[in-house]
Amino acid sequence: MNFRNIGVIISREYMTRVRKKSFLVITFVVPVLMALLCIVPSVIMLMSKDKCKTVEVLDESGIVLPYLTDSDIVVYKDCTGIDLDSLKAGVSSENGNDAVLHISAYDPQTRNVTATVYSVKPVGIDIKEDISSKAEDAVEECRMRSYDIENLDVIMKEIKADVPVATYTLGEDGQEKITSSEVYMIISLVLTMVIYMFIAMFSGMVMSSVIEEKSSKVVEVLVSSVKSIELMFGKIIGVACVALTQFFLWIVLAIVLISVAGMFVDFDSLSQGAQQMTQMASVPGMDSVADPTAALMQATEDNPELSAIISTLRDLDYGSIIFSFVVYFILGYLLYASLFAAIGSAVENEGDSNQLQMPVTIPLLIGFFIAFYAFKAPDSQLAFWGSMIPFTSPMVMLARIPFGVPAWELALSIGLLLITFVVFAWISARIYKVGILVSGKKSTFKDLWKWLKQK
Amino acid sequence: MSIISCRDVRKTFGQKVALDNVSIEIPEGKIFGLLGPNGAGKTTLIRIINRITMPDSGEIIFNGHPITQTDVERIGYLPEERGLYRKMKVGEQAVYFARLKGMSAHDAQQELKKWFVHFGIQQWWNKKVEELSKGMAQKVQFITTVVHKPKLLILDEPFSGFDPVNAQLIRDEILRLKDEGATIVLSTHNMESVEELCDEIALINKSRLVITGGVDEIRHKYGNNNVELVYTGNALDASGSPFKVISDEDQMGRHTAVLSIGEGADTSAVLSDLLAKGVTINSFRELVPRMNDIFIKLVTEE
Repeated sequence: MNFRNIGVIISREYMTRVRKKSFLVITFVVPVLMALLCIVPSVIMLMSKDKCKTVEVLDESGIVLPYLTDSDIVVYKDCTGIDLDSLKAGVSSENGNDAVLHISAYDPQTRNVTATVYSVKPVGIDIKEDISSKAEDAVEECRMRSYDIENLDVIMKEIKADVPVATYTLGEDGQEKITSSEVYMIISLVLTMVIYMFIAMFSGMVMSSVIEEKSSKVVEVLVSSVKSIELMFGKIIGVACVALTQFFLWIVLAIVLISVAGMFVDFDSLSQGAQQMTQMASVPGMDSVADPTAALMQATEDNPELSAIISTLRDLDYGSIIFSFVVYFILGYLLYASLFAAIGSAVENEGDSNQLQMPVTIPLLIGFFIAFYAFKAPDSQLAFWGSMIPFTSPMVMLARIPFGVPAWELALSIGLLLITFVVFAWISARIYKVGILVSGKKSTFKDLWKWLKQK
Repeated sequence: MSIISCRDVRKTFGQKVALDNVSIEIPEGKIFGLLGPNGAGKTTLIRIINRITMPDSGEIIFNGHPITQTDVERIGYLPEERGLYRKMKVGEQAVYFARLKGMSAHDAQQELKKWFVHFGIQQWWNKKVEELSKGMAQKVQFITTVVHKPKLLILDEPFSGFDPVNAQLIRDEILRLKDEGATIVLSTHNMESVEELCDEIALINKSRLVITGGVDEIRHKYGNNNVELVYTGNALDASGSPFKVISDEDQMGRHTAVLSIGEGADTSAVLSDLLAKGVTINSFRELVPRMNDIFIKLVTEE
């Protein structure tokens, strides 16, 4: 191996890609698109709120009207005593009467009322639900009274239960931390998507580059100066550097975006709330049963969900997540890129590569799908084996990482991946060496096998 | 002194024998023609010399020692299947190839600028290859092959893709490089340029070496000891002469005859016989076969 030559190759592969416009576009536009993807739904929710409607109510039962309290989507107007037909005639958005609600007299037989809404334009589902739930409350109340049991309403209120579930993780030092499973799930999914995308995109890039050199016939000129193995690894490493550059630019960009966002949102007060909770939860000497309860009470008082999310985000081990991402990306990419390089060496245009690609893309996809479900049961048999088998482990292990993985599993999985890479890199280099100089006919797996055995 | 000796080089691909114990000596400072029909094994031999592929047995001696990867930096190879990165700028690309041959970026830049000026193509430096015509790209390719001042230059069909003017330019460059001390291996199907440029040749057919030696030597060897005689006057009478008349064409009293003088015959004896007969000689020259004819003869005989 001539490392000087590899260096020259790496720098060409790197520079030609990083200077491309498409690299800049992907580096800066993708994070913006991702951010938009997060913001847009809430903006849509905000924008889609209907303006307040006025509903005139003719309540013949006499029990529902007190329950019809105004909200920011609907205002109820008491129109008792006015004839229904004349109310209907008066319905029009222009003079502020959007609908008429007619409630029939309480029927002792069915012990129910019927509600009818008349409007020119159909009323929204929000208003229908508002009326229905309030009328149900009124009828339930009425039925309750009919039992004539003293303080039944109080009893019922007491019976009604709402059980909040808070999840804590136990640290080795006995420290308990409030966590949000949802956050783990999202991080697991994001990691899976990103590593899958990175491996598929960049090893595909290696393949295209091999095909380009072969079809433009540069390759024979190149291998008269450098050994084919130097060319192959120079290319693979060069593209890996592009990927890592992109990854680190994204991290920098994320930090910038978060700090910019921090100027508008008061993260400090939010995380202080969460901090208090964790502190309360971990005061030593406190009874372990009483301890979470106290935290829970505190949590339910303000915004428990948000506090848990912030606490989880704050306590995530970003160092080990980024480290695992980089390690698994590099190893997974090296494995797949060398396989793709071997495939690229066998064809002269991208179209011909489809059939040969199959055995390589399928394990990649399987890994992606296993990883996609790993968050539901991160320690299941499927997830465990998926994170051990080298072809799927980069994706599946990363999906498991946020939930915590024992060190021995991590070491074993990385070791297996490394060995597999070495073996397949050797195989690929042999196929590549012969493949790049074969021209004319379309190659098959039989040819690849022949090349592998060739001296 | 040979710059390259191929000793019993054998290479097989599966069942197919590509080179069957081929031994060739390429003398230093000469232009050596590597000839043979398509598929004879020339490219395989060139690739073995360049260490692109390894022989099954036999060895390549470079300057007296078994060839190593460092020696390859002293070789410039222009493959028949050649190309450039289409999206890369011409100058940048040329520097890249030169650096892969061991030059520093700075030296490469300087040398290349000289060559670009020499070929009058300085204005292409910042153009992308896809903007160039095929002939233009071939010129750039030629420069990238020779820029690192190789001791040995291997050119596979160097004239293909060039118009006659540029082909002449390349021909002149090849001769100039030879004068500067480079050894050149020329693989081509153009027999005229073999006669014009090559000092020695080797002919490979069906993976075997058929013949190797000096061009003149081979042409004489395959000659039939015929001479062409142009004379004026009456038709020649060959009775009692040390030659036979094979053909005699009469064009209004100007004759063009082919005489067979037999193996080892003395041309001066023929001439004095002709003079004694009082023939008016306009021209008298030895007839050597064209390389083209020798090539066809050897390849079809096999």
